[in-house]
Amino acid sequence: MRLEKCYFCGGTVYPGHGIMFVRNDSKIFRFCRSKCHTHFKMKHNPRKTKWTKAFRKLAGKEMTVDKTFDFEKKRNRPVKYDRDLVSATIKVMKRLDVIRERRKRAFYKNRMQGVRAREKMMQLKEIDQHIDIIRAPSALLKMKAKILENKNKIQSMETELGPLNPKPIKKSKPTASE
Amino acid sequence: MVLYNFKSIQVVPGSRDFVDVVLSKTQRKTPTEVHKQYHISRIRSFYMRKVKFTQQSYHDKLSQIIQDFPLLDDIHPFYADLVNVLYDKDHYKLALGQLNTARNLIDNIAKDYLRLLKYGDSLYRCKQLKRAALGRMCTLMLKQNSSLAYLEQVRQHLARLPSIDPNTRTLLMCGYPNVGKSSFMNKMTRANVDVQPYAFTTKSLFVGHTDYKYNIWQVIDTPGILDHPLEERNTIEMQSITALAHLHAAVLFLIDISERCGYTIKQQVDLFFSIKALFLNKPLIVVINKIDVRRPEDVPADDWALIQSLTDPAKGGVGGTQILPMSTLTEEGVSKVKDVACTTLLADRIEKKMASSKISKDLHRLRTAQPKPRDEKVRSVFIPESVANARLADPDTLNKNKVTLTPGQMEVLQEEQDDLEYQKGIIPIFDINLWKRKYLLKDDSWKFDIIPEIMDGRNISDFIDPDILERLDELEREEEALIEELRANGGDASDESDLDDENQELLDEIHARKSEIKMDRLLGKTGRPKLTRQHKGLDKDHMERTLTRMGVEEEELGDIMDDVADKSRDRSKSRRPSERSLSRHGRKRDRSESRGVSVEGRGLSLNRSQSRGSSKTPAPVDGEGYRDLPQKEEAVMLGKEGMRKRNKLGYKGEGDHHIPNLMPKHLFAGKRGAGKTGRR
Repeated sequence: MRLEKCYFCGGTVYPGHGIMFVRNDSKIFRFCRSKCHTHFKMKHNPRKTKWTKAFRKLAGKEMTVDKTFDFEKKRNRPVKYDRDLVSATIKVMKRLDVIRERRKRAFYKNRMQGVRAREKMMQLKEIDQHIDIIRAPSALLKMKAKILENKNKIQSMETELGPLNPKPIKKSKPTASE
Repeated sequence: MVLYNFKSIQVVPGSRDFVDVVLSKTQRKTPTEVHKQYHISRIRSFYMRKVKFTQQSYHDKLSQIIQDFPLLDDIHPFYADLVNVLYDKDHYKLALGQLNTARNLIDNIAKDYLRLLKYGDSLYRCKQLKRAALGRMCTLMLKQNSSLAYLEQVRQHLARLPSIDPNTRTLLMCGYPNVGKSSFMNKMTRANVDVQPYAFTTKSLFVGHTDYKYNIWQVIDTPGILDHPLEERNTIEMQSITALAHLHAAVLFLIDISERCGYTIKQQVDLFFSIKALFLNKPLIVVINKIDVRRPEDVPADDWALIQSLTDPAKGGVGGTQILPMSTLTEEGVSKVKDVACTTLLADRIEKKMASSKISKDLHRLRTAQPKPRDEKVRSVFIPESVANARLADPDTLNKNKVTLTPGQMEVLQEEQDDLEYQKGIIPIFDINLWKRKYLLKDDSWKFDIIPEIMDGRNISDFIDPDILERLDELEREEEALIEELRANGGDASDESDLDDENQELLDEIHARKSEIKMDRLLGKTGRPKLTRQHKGLDKDHMERTLTRMGVEEEELGDIMDDVADKSRDRSKSRRPSERSLSRHGRKRDRSESRGVSVEGRGLSLNRSQSRGSSKTPAPVDGEGYRDLPQKEEAVMLGKEGMRKRNKLGYKGEGDHHIPNLMPKHLFAGKRGAGKTGRR
């Protein structure tokens, strides 16, 4: 008995679950649930479907290359049962889990670096642009210092992180005089 | 042994079919779309492909036919002669030769046109060339109609020929028509040949098979032969002659002793002598048939003498020939004939074989050596002394089963045991533990372990690897290095990300306000008419609240409110007189005046909307638009009069009326066709 991987979402298919489809060129497709099967039947591309493992890997949202992945490999060679080897393997698997988790966390952190700063910049910009819907002009005069401070902060952040979603430069239409 | 399978020759289509097949194949298997705007090389290759393809399919099909039909020089002379007799060798060769020529010609045509197509300069030119090429090929094929038709007939006939193996043990029957060849055949084999009381019932060769001494014997029934020169023989007789001439078989020459077949014994004996040349080097048996009608003893002496002369070389007979009486009706002597025929043939074949040069190869294989003891000395098995001593030292080894069985052998033993039990009536039960006992593992105590397969959503078997521990060590080292590196980089420097409190408050406020505006817009979108602010007037409370919320301080607020109150008062004052004066010349608003108000109020941007010119319409005064009041009163009365009837009928006014469609188009314009619903 084996745990298989779902063709569509990449999840684990436990024995007795899901469905298997064998195409007439004898390629085997396993699906963990009818959702995945339906998507397959509708010819959706798992790489373009956001919630699949394939998408996440392709979009760089998850680790794809790592030494911990090299341990798990389908070996089509029967090995004679050896109690020591199996028990060692189980221990190694547990240890591998820990290491993998740690690396995943590190990966996530690395990926998320700078995101918070960007968020903050966005918030500051929002404040800067829309302050006049909550403050009368006369009131604004009084908080001039704060506004200036925010503006400076935005500028420094922009030089550091680059402009927020830079807009494509529109070509100006030639005027009549030209 | 050469076996000919003439049944597998493929059907030869008629010339018209042939052309149709090839052309439709070309149409189906080559691209069909070409446009003149394509590049010329593409157009050329398109048409070249068609020509080439047609040529290839003609070539293949013709080659197939030429290959399928047997070459007369290659097959056994018996078959070659038979083909000659049945279909005329010359005609046969000519037909095949013509197809061969056609094939070459087609190849040449294609070659020529392909050469021309290389220089085709337009789609039209290329197409014409292709047409010409295909046309010439097809015309050529159409001319082959007669050969193809002939070959098809030959094929059909060939397929129905009995499959005679010219080299095997064969019994061959010959004689005049109606002497009982076919009946004898029916007695010997299960061939079920047609037997009728007229001459030439059998018109071709028939094959049956019989058993003798555990071998299969081929029995061939031939059509009857008449006694005349070879040149005058017809096709039916020639088949018999061919068989007699080419097959090395035991020949049974049948003589009808009763003369009921319509030929006298004399005639039959004459036939024997005239075809005697064909019996040379073959075992021959003269069979006297129909002894149930006339016993051999009743035959006149001179006739009997004639029959006896067949065996006498001195009188022109064939030596070593036996004469056997038989009756196919009563089956008297039938088995004897078969017996004698088979044994003589067998003896003859063995003799021939022994005489041939090939036999020496087989003979030495048959030798069996039988060693004889050369003396009285005993030569027993040699056991080394050390082994013998070891055995003596450990008596268990003698008792023990010295053979260690492989798992495969054990399995066989187990199966045998199961079989035994099964025979005794015990159904063997498969027990996995019995099975596991046979495992060959490093440690016997592991045999009954339950092997884990799955852990934490992973297959354990995917991880099993003899050097897994080394690899883990390596990974651990790498991991340590990584952690060290992280620590060196100052751990996880968290980005300062949060806004300070003041900014956070502002942001929250902005968000709240935005959603409020959004909600207001949503709620305001009712589609119902709204009162403008001018009509509603100034909501001072609302204004005050808004200003407070926007951070305007109390002093300033008071100023603003006063200012606004003043202005609205000013405006209403200044408006009255002007309105009255304006009413004379229509209800036009005086823009300059209202603008003056707005200029005045430009001090504060908040009041901008207030300054917009008023469009308040004064209520119409009665009598306006009429010459005088009495005229107006009359008009009103007339209006009321006009409304009376409508009011009675419950109509709203002048506009409330209905003009029925007296001739609806759909009822008077006939049926609708396949077009749009509007058209009839």
